[in-house]
Amino acid sequence: MAPKAKDVVAKSKRKRASEGEKPTKRRRSSSPEDENPGDKILLMEQGILESKKNYNNIPLLLQTMDGYKDGSEESVLAAVALCRVFMRLLAQGSFIYKKSMSEKDSVVLTWLKDQFNLYKTTLLAVLATEEELSSTALTLCMRLLKAEGEFLYDKEEYTFPKNFLQSIIVALLQTDSDEVRGVFMQEYAEGYDDIRYYTFISIKSAIEGLVDFVSEAEVFGHALSMLSALDGVPESAEELEDFYVPAPKKKNHNLRSVTQHKRQGQEAWLALTGIAKSKEQRKSILNIMSTVIAPWFTKPELLADFLTHSYDTGGSMSLLALSGVFYLIQERNLDYPSFYHKLYSLLDRSILHSKHRSRFFRLLDTFLGSTHLPAALVASFIKRLSRLSLNAPPSAVVFVVPWIYNQLRRHPTCTLMIHRENKDPSIKKHIQNNGVEDPFLPDETDPMETGAIDSSLWEIEQLQSHYHPNVATIAKIISDQFTKQSYNMEDFLDHSYATLLEAEMTKNVRKAPVVEFHIPKRIFLPHDEPTANPDSLLVKLWGFQ
Amino acid sequence: MAGSQLKRLKATLKEQGIVGPQQSKKQKRKAAQDDRARSEKRLQRGVVLEGIREQFNPFDLKHAKNPKFEVTTNRPVTAAYKIKGRPGAAKAASEERRRQTLLVDMQRRHKVGGILDRRFGENDPTMAPEEKMLERFAREKLKTHKKTSMFDLEDDDDDAFPGEGLTHGGKALTFDDMEVVDDYEEDDLDDGASDVSEREMQRLKRVRAMAAEGDMDQDDQPERKKSKKEVMEEVIAKSKMHRYERQAAKEVDEDLRAELDKELQGIQHLLTQSSSRKTEEKPQPSAIAGVERSVFDKDFDLQVKKLAQDKRAKPSDRTKTEEEKAEDESNRLKELEEKRQKRMRGESVSDSDEEDEDEEVGSEGSQAGDDSEEDFGLGRGINAKPTAAELGFDDEDDFIIDDDLVASGSDIDSDEELDLGSDMAAEEDESEEEEEEDEFTKGLLNEEETRNPVFSLDSTTKSADVEKGDENGLPYTFPCPQSVEEFQSVTASYPRTSLPTIVQRIRALYHPKLDSKNKERLGKFSAVLVAFISSPWDPETSPPFSVLENLTRHIHSLAKSFPLEIAQGFRTQIEEISNERPLAIQPGDLILLTAVGTIFPTSDHFHQVVTPAMLVIARYLGQQVPQDLADHAIGSYLSILTLQYQKLAKRYVPEVLNFALNTLCALAPTSPSASIGSFPRHDSPVSHRAKGASQVSVRKLGFSDCLHTDSSPPEVKIAILNTVSQISDAAADTWSSKGAFIETFGQVLEVIKHLNAKACRSHLPSELRDRTEKLQVKLERMIKISGLSRRPLELHHHKPLAIKTYVPKFEETFDPDKHYDPDRERAELAKLKKEHKRERKGAMRELRKDANFMARENLRIKKAKDEAYEKKYKRLVAEIQSEEGREANAYEREKAARKRSRNR
Repeated sequence: MAPKAKDVVAKSKRKRASEGEKPTKRRRSSSPEDENPGDKILLMEQGILESKKNYNNIPLLLQTMDGYKDGSEESVLAAVALCRVFMRLLAQGSFIYKKSMSEKDSVVLTWLKDQFNLYKTTLLAVLATEEELSSTALTLCMRLLKAEGEFLYDKEEYTFPKNFLQSIIVALLQTDSDEVRGVFMQEYAEGYDDIRYYTFISIKSAIEGLVDFVSEAEVFGHALSMLSALDGVPESAEELEDFYVPAPKKKNHNLRSVTQHKRQGQEAWLALTGIAKSKEQRKSILNIMSTVIAPWFTKPELLADFLTHSYDTGGSMSLLALSGVFYLIQERNLDYPSFYHKLYSLLDRSILHSKHRSRFFRLLDTFLGSTHLPAALVASFIKRLSRLSLNAPPSAVVFVVPWIYNQLRRHPTCTLMIHRENKDPSIKKHIQNNGVEDPFLPDETDPMETGAIDSSLWEIEQLQSHYHPNVATIAKIISDQFTKQSYNMEDFLDHSYATLLEAEMTKNVRKAPVVEFHIPKRIFLPHDEPTANPDSLLVKLWGFQ
Repeated sequence: MAGSQLKRLKATLKEQGIVGPQQSKKQKRKAAQDDRARSEKRLQRGVVLEGIREQFNPFDLKHAKNPKFEVTTNRPVTAAYKIKGRPGAAKAASEERRRQTLLVDMQRRHKVGGILDRRFGENDPTMAPEEKMLERFAREKLKTHKKTSMFDLEDDDDDAFPGEGLTHGGKALTFDDMEVVDDYEEDDLDDGASDVSEREMQRLKRVRAMAAEGDMDQDDQPERKKSKKEVMEEVIAKSKMHRYERQAAKEVDEDLRAELDKELQGIQHLLTQSSSRKTEEKPQPSAIAGVERSVFDKDFDLQVKKLAQDKRAKPSDRTKTEEEKAEDESNRLKELEEKRQKRMRGESVSDSDEEDEDEEVGSEGSQAGDDSEEDFGLGRGINAKPTAAELGFDDEDDFIIDDDLVASGSDIDSDEELDLGSDMAAEEDESEEEEEEDEFTKGLLNEEETRNPVFSLDSTTKSADVEKGDENGLPYTFPCPQSVEEFQSVTASYPRTSLPTIVQRIRALYHPKLDSKNKERLGKFSAVLVAFISSPWDPETSPPFSVLENLTRHIHSLAKSFPLEIAQGFRTQIEEISNERPLAIQPGDLILLTAVGTIFPTSDHFHQVVTPAMLVIARYLGQQVPQDLADHAIGSYLSILTLQYQKLAKRYVPEVLNFALNTLCALAPTSPSASIGSFPRHDSPVSHRAKGASQVSVRKLGFSDCLHTDSSPPEVKIAILNTVSQISDAAADTWSSKGAFIETFGQVLEVIKHLNAKACRSHLPSELRDRTEKLQVKLERMIKISGLSRRPLELHHHKPLAIKTYVPKFEETFDPDKHYDPDRERAELAKLKKEHKRERKGAMRELRKDANFMARENLRIKKAKDEAYEKKYKRLVAEIQSEEGREANAYEREKAARKRSRNR
């Protein structure tokens, strides 16, 4: 879209240039009947620029432009022409009020400003509603924005047309076209520091103003997509050098300060988190929390409410919020009571099947990395995880076991869970006769009270006979001598059925595989003599006609 | 020693007796006469002089540095402190070498072409003309010896000495007098078989020895001089004679052999009589004596070949009793079972073992008496079973029987257990693998050969008339399909039930014994069969299961000869499943996975085909959230298959229980509470709860239930519930000995309890209710027993690890030259590094010396050039000067003369 619009502009410029050579001749020679609308518009434009008398052509052009609703082509041409007109007028200084002006002139000036505003509103309407023309409209808007910032007021003072940008942003938030948003973010907001700065401000106020908007979810989505595109946090003041509107002269202007930039980003994001109501919205924010959002925050504490609330929600939301909460605890001294309690409750039946599990386990490894944690607590985590691994996919077992190994190395007290000898003869006898009850309380929520430290890891022992050879081998490290200091968890995370299968399939078969030497008489059908050859399970349980 | 160097030298010389007091004339004469003593003395003198020279030039030798104080070192003082090198000699040698190689290269640089000097001895003044001749002779010989044959007397002359016959004492050599036997006899003996070059060398040695002798003679008796040439001729003549003799001896041998040949018939007769076997061909008593030689030779060759091909006479084995046979059989099975156990534990079977095993698998699979697979689980039941012959079957024989049955028009499903099978099996019990293969082919062919001659011909040369077919209209010959499409098009026109017959015939037609290319063809064909059985299943068009079963068994039988091709075929199919439809397994894939389970040993710790197959199954069971009843049915099938896979190894498969519990929960008439079990719960988007199905009859699931349809009839739900509870039952049996049985099956018990709760009971048929109640009781009992037998884990009965010691290890007899690195690899690496460094230094030194040498040479050349130039310049200047001087003189003279004349 954008290049097309530019094309149009360029073409018309060329035309104008060629026309400029013999404008009068042409006007005379051409009769009004065979003039096409494009030429007419160009003539009008020419007239406006030539003399103030022709200013009345502006409303005419505006009218033509209003025809965009019917999809007429002239409207585009009219819009482009008007844009040129206003830019020229702005550059000429026709919009600047001077004391020397006569009353008549000032009336004209007011009228002109009204027309200008009318033109802008129309453009914005196009931007907000018409998907086809929106990128052209966006280009025009941005050109006007530049001209306005440069020439609308006295040159001495830096002024940024905030209101105009605000309206552009609102229009962008409303439009359904992701494309034009993308164009705006890519070409303007990311490229120019001032645009980004004011975009943040505008989004914030737009979100605040839009609270009672019709389709809040939609606006949220649009705002999120726009904000998440802005991930280039400025590091120092030197980086702030790309300005769309000529830069302010003052050295201590807000635009030149990194902290101000960050602040605006922070405000915008805070405003967005404020309107994130549904689970999905929160998840999408949490997903980019650490990578995109956090860098903008000079005061991450401001996120504490959002994060703790999300963390308390439970489920995958908690998993996502966990890293944020952990950051706050670690860096900002956030006091989160019963953090481990909560963490323990996160280990539910679906954790090992969740797609965020590797992310979670990286964090869990950090949380439980300290050797100063109470052994009972660590034992609870170990026991809980080994319980869960009984129903886990191989890719999860693959990292649970090395993790347990590492924990056992860190907390040698916990090795009682894999090796417990009873010296007392009476207890020994009791065990001989009655076996042992598992003292572990799976439903206890307090990790200090589960009694896991008195239990044994029978589950891991069972996994030593896992069907997948590699998993079984990994599970056997628990019963081998602990000679290795620790396992690097990164080697074991990020596996899945697909990767395991791929690993198997990429191996070439060079040696002939062993073939079962006995060819069974029957595979699908029952044997003729069931007493001599018992049927296989398959035949017993499945009906083959 | 005191005094100057000169004085010392004199003293030493005197001491050694090299210079002494002047001898009288008498003494001198005496010494001169005593020739032997003189030469000895001269020798000794040389040695002594050498010693003195060395002694007086200390820089000729390089000595190792002595230790400063003996006590400070424990290095052995031997050898190492002796002479380390001779720098002078070494330098001279290297210089000489360079002059021979580098200098030549230098001089030849930038030069193209040239003449290669192959002359020898031209520049060697030490070479006597005789030696030169000898050398020339040797070279000539070397050049030609390859061309001439050993016994070629005639053209030898032309080749070795063209245009010149061998002479002896001026006369040409003739070999008429054969009785001359000279002293070469002992050489003759061992020369007979040796090759030419060796002989050549020996002869040369002899020649040299003789030449040396000649020298001696020369010294001793100078008057009887024999020219070198004569000696040479003699030598050559002798060698020729020697050769001729050998030829004669060979001819004698030939005669002897011919004589023996004549008597062969008699010997043969004796041989045939002694062996118990009867040879078919009749002896030809009168043929030999009278027949033409060529005919006789041909006959003889034929006979020899036949003899070689005949089975060697062996003492026949005693017929074994039934008990012995059974024992053998049980031993064999035990061995196989041991190997299987080893693989199951994941222990590496050594390569030779593996091969052995493969071979055994190949050979013994076709032997008689395979007990059913279940016996291995029990392990000890083999001896109690009936004997091999009663039970046993040759698997491959099965197909022969099949073929027979089908060919005679009977039903494929009819009873296969004919006595014929066991008879044949018993016969083949003892045979070797190769013979077994032979038998198999023969069996196949004999069956059909009687009816159709095409099998004896090459399979590619088929005529149309043999394709008329048997009584079912099935032709005897088929092309060997190399792709699935081809196979389908080949078999399209025949009924599905005849597929096994077609496969059987293709296997017979393209048996690897018949054509060398058949092996490849059949390998491809087996992969095609694998693809065929896994092709999409359709209740209407797909072959019935009896046929699929038969095809699977054909693949199994082919897998013994083509394990790689078939494994590759299976793996491609599995890869296709995992890439294209990991969560949408089709019924055709189920057949494939079943075939994997029967063809390959599923109990192995790792197996190239089974492990991926198992992963595919587990992935489906673990990740597929069932959308409709078909998904449940497929999952149930896969669960059964998994349990069957793990029948022997009893490995734990979490996905099976997850699936079973989820299915039970999803299909239970009422929804269970949220906190039931700790398995991940799937929430099925559509509810398939079996409600109000108390009147539905329970049936087995079938393949048609695996096809996705919109309807969800209650009997399918009940069938799934029934099957899954049976699966849980079987799973409990399989994993009853696992450590965490209580935790694992506690969840199952909870779910089953939920099914037995009042809310659910009323909806389910009574048969299912009975089953679940029984299962509940069983699980409760098993969990109780498991609880009783549970002990705290004691996994770490390892020897406690020693604390690391930091006390250095002392060597009793430490040798600083030796390296005591305990890490072998590191030590070797260090050694290699050292060697590399040394080599590098050596190479660099050599290069440096080369460069020096070249610079020196260049300088020398330049100097020589400059000198020549200078000389020439001086000569020219002198010439000019002298000329000018003469002219000047002449001028002076002239001038003086004129002056004189003027004055006159």
